[in-house]
Order: sequence, then C-alpha cells, then structure tokens
Amino acid sequence: MNYIVKIKLILLGLACLIAIPASFLLYQHRHFKIPVVQGPGVTQVVQLSHYLPGLKGTRADTPVFILQGKEPGGKILIMANTHSNEPAGLLTAIIFIENAVVQQGTLYIIPVFNNSGSRTTKPGDGYPLYFDIKTPWGKRRFRMGNRNASPLDQWPDPDVYIHYPDRQLLSFIDARNTNRTWPGRPNGLLMEKVTFAAMELLRREKVDLAVDLHGAETMFPVTNCIVAPEKSIKLATLTSLTVKALEGFDNHVEPSPSRFRGLSHREIGDYSETLPFLLEAPIPFLDQPTGPKTVDLLLQGKDPFLLRLAKKKKLFVPYDESGWPMAKRVGQHCSVILELIRQYSRKNPDRAIKLTNVPRYKEVVAKGVGYFFLNPEKADKKKIVDI
Amino acid sequence: MKNNLCLIGLAFILFMFLATQSLSQTETAKIPKAQLPVLITSAGQSPDVTTVNIIAEEAGVPYDYCDVPTVELVKAGVGLADKESGPGFHVEIHTDLDKYPKGTAYKTMIFAIGASLKGMGASGLTVESELKRLQSLIDYCQKNNVFIIAIHVGGASKRGAPGSDNEKMIDAVAPLANLIIVTKDSNKDGRFDQIAQVKNIPLIQVDNALEIVEIFKQIFL
Repeated sequence: MNYIVKIKLILLGLACLIAIPASFLLYQHRHFKIPVVQGPGVTQVVQLSHYLPGLKGTRADTPVFILQGKEPGGKILIMANTHSNEPAGLLTAIIFIENAVVQQGTLYIIPVFNNSGSRTTKPGDGYPLYFDIKTPWGKRRFRMGNRNASPLDQWPDPDVYIHYPDRQLLSFIDARNTNRTWPGRPNGLLMEKVTFAAMELLRREKVDLAVDLHGAETMFPVTNCIVAPEKSIKLATLTSLTVKALEGFDNHVEPSPSRFRGLSHREIGDYSETLPFLLEAPIPFLDQPTGPKTVDLLLQGKDPFLLRLAKKKKLFVPYDESGWPMAKRVGQHCSVILELIRQYSRKNPDRAIKLTNVPRYKEVVAKGVGYFFLNPEKADKKKIVDI
Repeated sequence: MKNNLCLIGLAFILFMFLATQSLSQTETAKIPKAQLPVLITSAGQSPDVTTVNIIAEEAGVPYDYCDVPTVELVKAGVGLADKESGPGFHVEIHTDLDKYPKGTAYKTMIFAIGASLKGMGASGLTVESELKRLQSLIDYCQKNNVFIIAIHVGGASKRGAPGSDNEKMIDAVAPLANLIIVTKDSNKDGRFDQIAQVKNIPLIQVDNALEIVEIFKQIFL
C-alpha cells in the first residue's frame, strides 16, 4: 500500500469520524417527536392523507386537528410550519389546539404543514436543531426545521421548477417549498401532493378562511403584515385597522401579487372559494447580517448588528434593544387570527365562527407563550398526538 | 395660605375644564357636512384607498369607488356608466340607487392619498400621468361644486422627502380640498397643519384610521 492510499484512507477515516456522530444527531432530530395535547375543543384528528391517499406512509403526511363547535357555522384552516424555520406559527397553532373551545363553526389546524421540512435543517447556516419554551411546569422542546422539505423525502431537484399549472419558471429549490407548490396536483412531486391535499380539504369541507402562518426578515419589506389577494383584502384591512386601534400593534396589509404563482395567498383564492391570508411576523433570526444563529436569537430576536441597521433606518419594522421576542410574534398571530374570525363572522352571521379561551396579543406578551401550553406528561396518553 | 392654594387649585381645574370643553366644541364645529352621493378614489394608487372604502362601509356610508376614474367617468355620475372592473381598473357601486339613480351627479369626492409605483404601474400610470389625472378631476370638482375630501392614513410609509412621489400626491390634492382628514402618524412633521392653515381648510387629525368611521357618520349621515 503506497503512502497516497494510506493518506486517502486516513482522510476517509477522519471524514467518517466527523460524519457519523453528526449523522446520528441529524437522525435523532428527524425522528424527534413533539407531543401535542388535544385540548378541550379538539373533536377529531385525521391525517392530511385523508384528503389525498397518495400521501399515506410518506414523511409528508401530517396531522390535522379538527375543533368542531356544537352549532354549525363557518370554517377556518390554520396552517403553521409551511416554513419550519419560522416557528412562531407552530407555537400559535399549538396554543389554539390546546386551548380553544369552539361554540360555533369549525377550526382545522395543521401545526406542521411541511412535515418533511420540519425534520431537516439548513446546511451551512448553523441552525440550532431544537429550541425550548419555558412553561410554568418546565421546558417544552420543539424541532427547529428548515424552509424546504428534506431531500431525503423529495429528490432529485429539477434544474428549474416549473410551477403547475401556470408553468411559471421558479428556482429549483422551490420544488421542495410548500409555499411555491400551490395549488398542487395529486400525481406530482411530494410537496405538490401536500398542497393538493390541503386544497382538497378546503374544497371538500367548504372552508371559509385559510390562514398560513409565517415569519419574515426585518430587512424584507413584506414583514409584520397580512398578505391578501383581492378577494380577501377588505377583511385583511379591517383586521389590520382593528388590531392597531384596539391592541396597539401594527400589521399592515400587502396585496398578493397576481403574477407570482405558487403561493398560498394567491392559489388558494384562485382555486377555491376560500379567502386566504398569509401572516408574516418579523423574525430577526432569518436576517442575514446577524451574529450567530443561536436559540437566544431565535427566541428573543435581539441582535447588535440589526440594532445598528435599525439606527440607519435599514429595517422595515421598529427595532430597539428589546428585539422581537417570540411572545410578541405569537401574540400578534393569535390576535390577527381571532380578529379575522371576528370580522368575518360579523359580516357573515350565517357562517359565523365563535370560539373562546385563546389569548390575545397583550396576554401572550404579558404571560409568555409557554404559559398557554398543556403538560403532555400530565395529560391522558390517549389525548397525545405526536407531530 | 391653605385657602389660597385651594382657590388656585379650583381655578386651575375650572380653567382646564373650560379649555377642554372649548377645544372639543371647536373640533366638533370643524367637521363640515358633505352630501351624498360620494365617489371614493385614489390619489397615487396605494392600497390605502381600500382602508377608506372600509371606513365608509363601517360608517354605513353608501359609496361608489373607482381607482382611476377620468373626468368623463365622474361626469357620468352614480353607477359610473356601468363600467366593469378589469386589469388595472376597479369599480364598485354601493350607492343606494333608489335614492340616487344611475347618472346622479356626485356631490362629494374622497381622495385617498398615497403613492405606490406598483399600484400606478398596474393601472398603466406614471407619477406624471397620475398627477395630470388628479389635476383634471380636481378642476372638474371645483367647477361643479363637488366637495373634496383629502384623506391620508398611510402613516410615515406614505410620506417622504419634499418632491418625492408621496409628497407630490399630497401637493396635488390636499391644498385644493374642502376638508383634510389625516392620522397622527401621517402628520408627524405638521405638513398637513401647515397646508390647512395656509389654505384655511378644516383639518381633522385622528390617532388611528378606525376613528374616521365616526367622523364619516358626522359628515354624511
């Protein structure tokens, strides 16, 4: 064996030494379960494959929590973790699942819309794999995922993603992005099947409102806002005006561009009767010019570089030493959803949705997100759903 | 000494009470009446016109809406000559047609001020052509005694340096209006106070846009 082969073998051994433990961590992350307690309002839990059997047995299948009131009324779908690196939506969805009591109408909640994306990480960006939320009874751990589905579940990527059905050319990576694959198709890529299943849910169940929860960089103009197409824009504007007047936070309205295809706020409206809304909460963690991508940055949103940029008026949201804490983002999501429901019900009394026990902005900011979580260890095991 | 202090205190409270009363009376007196039918339009094609439409709906004020009406269309009166919405052109008819049949001349026009290059582009307009359109509409209103209300609710994001697109839209409408309504965050630099003072136009300033609902009720109902 000559010395070149020896060096190659040593290098291979070193690579294995690094790769094997790292792979183990990623394997654990991919299979980590987040227990969610079915709260007092949950009446049924089905899988998304209920609406498209082709999803069954894949990593893309995901639970749908149904909270049906005694009185018939309107229906709303709440989707979180479309992008699993924007976790304020997931925490909001869990608050609704574990607390909401529905008197009239029905809530459909998908806490992990891109299940595959929630089980991978962003290579090269040093994302934490998990984050903990403090609760009155201890800490609750969540997976920190990625924007796109894992290549382990949908591979290979095309050179260019050709959107279906408009044939608009999108970036290759968007083939794994469940906010570019709407309205989807039953026999397409796995992520197109996910969005198609959700479209089927909306159409078959005759859902009135769909809310897709996101987070966006503070340096991106479409942040801290409600994105709505023409058919939803009045309700979005009324909601924005009301939360500003009554709860004191800004959440402006951005019109959904009609020529940019594949987005939930565009395609849901165009391919169903449902009124779509996409909520963007500021997430400093995703901004490029920050310090290390730590759990603290994710949860508190405090960063000295962003603070300097804020002083130079380079950010699209107010930003000071207090950062953008998770409680503020989750609180905004809660209030905006509740206000959309309230305003829609006011205008459509025959399709009203009435629910109680979900906190609004001020309460979430005052008590913290974890205050509203149930303890899975103390809950009836039959009531636990792993997501 | 103690009695003197009490008297000064009472006098101060009485003064504050009277001052507040007189201030609120002045502000109420400043709200002029306008007549229906009303046409709402945009000055600059920002989404703020949607906010004004919603305010009218919440106030129960029936209105017609067109984002880019021409003078000919305004002349056509209520119903806007049955024009239909299309790409870059939006029409909504909510006027009570029993009270104001199609063709009735508008008595009031509301301009929602705020420039959006995206909005103007979608309607095939440039800043210059939008300004020209606004000028012709305001000329028509002034010649035909149509009451003009200028509204700015977009806050700081719909303001800018002198000569910027947003300021041009303000210049085109606000100094020629019969009434100006603004939110506080739109008027942080006091620009609208200045216009109102120089041109002797009533100015109503509110903390947030939703407060305009009550003001619309006082103006129209």
